[in-house]
Amino acid sequence: MPDEMDEIIHDFIVESDEILESLDEKFVELEKDRTDQQLLNEIFRDVHTIKGAAGFLGFNQMVELTHATENILKKLKEGQIPVTPEITDLILESVDYMKRLLEHIREKDGQEEDLTDILARLKEIDGQESESISASGHEDTDTKKIGTILEEDGKVNSEDVEVALKVQEVARDSIETESPPRIGEILTATGKVSEDDVKEALRKQGKSAEPEHKPQKEQTIRVDVERLDDVLNLVGELVLGRNRLLKISSNLEARYPDDPEINALNETMAFLNLITTDLQIAVMRTRMQQVKKVFNKFPRMVRDLARSRDKDVELLITGEETEVDKSVIENIADPLVHIIRNAIDHGIETREERKEQGKPETGSIRLSASQEGNNILIEVEDDGRGIDHELIKRKGVEKGLISPAQAEVLSKEEVLELLFMPGFSTAAEVTDISGRGVGMDVVKTNIGKLKGSIEIKTERGKGTRFLIRLPLTLAIIQTLMVEVNSEVYAIPLSSVVETVRFPESEIRTVNHQEVIQLRGEVLPLVRLGELFGYGGRNGSSTSYIVVVDEGKKKFGIIVDRLRGQEEVVIKAIEGDLISTEHIELIAGATITGEGRVVLIIDIAMVMDTLAKGELLNA
Amino acid sequence: MFDQNMRILVVDDFSTMRRIVKNVLKQIGYSNIDEAEDGADALNKLRSRRYDFVVSDWNMPNLDGLEMLKQIRSDEQLKGLPVLMVTAEAEKEKVVTAIRAGVNNYIVKPFTAETLKQKMEQIYERLSK
Repeated sequence: MPDEMDEIIHDFIVESDEILESLDEKFVELEKDRTDQQLLNEIFRDVHTIKGAAGFLGFNQMVELTHATENILKKLKEGQIPVTPEITDLILESVDYMKRLLEHIREKDGQEEDLTDILARLKEIDGQESESISASGHEDTDTKKIGTILEEDGKVNSEDVEVALKVQEVARDSIETESPPRIGEILTATGKVSEDDVKEALRKQGKSAEPEHKPQKEQTIRVDVERLDDVLNLVGELVLGRNRLLKISSNLEARYPDDPEINALNETMAFLNLITTDLQIAVMRTRMQQVKKVFNKFPRMVRDLARSRDKDVELLITGEETEVDKSVIENIADPLVHIIRNAIDHGIETREERKEQGKPETGSIRLSASQEGNNILIEVEDDGRGIDHELIKRKGVEKGLISPAQAEVLSKEEVLELLFMPGFSTAAEVTDISGRGVGMDVVKTNIGKLKGSIEIKTERGKGTRFLIRLPLTLAIIQTLMVEVNSEVYAIPLSSVVETVRFPESEIRTVNHQEVIQLRGEVLPLVRLGELFGYGGRNGSSTSYIVVVDEGKKKFGIIVDRLRGQEEVVIKAIEGDLISTEHIELIAGATITGEGRVVLIIDIAMVMDTLAKGELLNA
Repeated sequence: MFDQNMRILVVDDFSTMRRIVKNVLKQIGYSNIDEAEDGADALNKLRSRRYDFVVSDWNMPNLDGLEMLKQIRSDEQLKGLPVLMVTAEAEKEKVVTAIRAGVNNYIVKPFTAETLKQKMEQIYERLSK
């Protein structure tokens, strides 16, 4: 049954992956309370479980490694060896090997890992303490044995128990159907203890063997992501169809206002509209996952990094139950890894520095998620040294990103913007942690891909805070339809602040940049027609300006006409449908209620184009 | 041997393991199989309908295999139910505990279809004596 086996192996990979991910977190938890018996039991069971299934599936390296790890975990949970950071390091290292082995299984590359070293080290720890264990004798993991209890109570000695156990073993081997005599029975029969003593011991046994109670698991089923994506796509098509129908029925209503059939159609449309919206929300929710899925990997990462940098860092996580779309989950991990790495590497000071400044020796990083209207807000805040604006400026000049003259006039916010420019990295030396050739520019690009924005707040000596705002879902958005040169474009409504009408005569040019003064505020402008190569001016004496807001920076987009608001389903554009010159300005395409294909403008990219122009012109 | 149509309950907290055990059971001709994800879930299922055979893991959250076994043996309705315990390795002490608690047989994982068949035959023979 090759298919069946494939499916089982697939399940094994998915489940083991979840377990291994959770282990990281459990170990970090364990370091907070090294005596947490329940947690130790769980960790033991997790590794044990993987071993069991791996054995069946013939993943021998996995069996070998989990077995060696399990031996140590067994000793930890039985208190034979203490939980030390060194042992935790070793076990976590072994968990990393397990992840690698699992990766080989997933890739079916037939590769093996060299486990000699890790196995040897695991066995070393395992061996060290083995003498002291054998002395403690037959310790049962789950229930205290009657013999042990009687021994502790001083009723019998260990020899008596040993003898009784042997008797029992022999009895079991010779008697087939009857259950073998109990230790208590043997001890009473041989006159070592009284029946009352056994009863008392049994009562104690019952007490110490109370099962642990945990909340019941949730009722869930696993569904292939592809199926969910299919459903989401279909709902997207349905929304497009609904939008068209809405348009048609409202046209019909305008044409035949008193027709009862049309009224009935409109009522039905209203109902269909409502149901489609509900369905849309329901489907999107099936794709929502808790950010916990991403946050979970950070305690381990912070722990490892802090240890390797010889710093004390505490990670506080809140709001991990906040739900976001799956695609957000998939794409937010890398930016967060980068920001957190930076915080540990550059933000948090060494113990000595912190002490000198009267800060607690343990630095803290706060990672939180919360919902803010239609957005989710993810914050990473450290209490480290903060960002040095002067240093950033110097670096910017050094790297040729700005001229010394520009550096003089940059505002604090603008200085921070430099961090996100390609080719910028403040790490004086490339460490194995931060300097991996990926800079904050990649962070910004990734967040931009998610239609999100990033903002930095920093104070010297106090710390730095990164605020990342992301839309809850990416597939369906509200847009403002605008027209330029008879072509319709969609601007995501989330970026639109307001629309204004201005006489062309009030548009000024400052430093080659067109601007207007809007209620005392100078607003840079960009002509949509120019961006897309239609030529800038349409000759009319008044302009419509869409004021948009991108990461706290406002600018205006000049268009020929405003067409109104519409909910659209974003479709990715594949292939070379648009000239490469403009493709980066486009976030996707959609079909309107009128059945027209419309391009959706990527405001962040327009902003970047504008910013580049500004710097060139300055 | 047991009736090929008998209803079997496979108890394990790891769904991959449940699938593996089901697969092995199918190989030796049993296909009427239900699953439970821990001892507590299993007891609920056992009390709600009739089962003829239980294959259970040992180490599970909520209620482990041993506790489940004890409760089966002390339940008027269930006490005669054959239980085969799956253990990770031949840990003698654990096996002794299980036998004392009334397990019909135990099997060490990983096991083959052949071994499982053999163990089930042993249980059947002892029960029919």
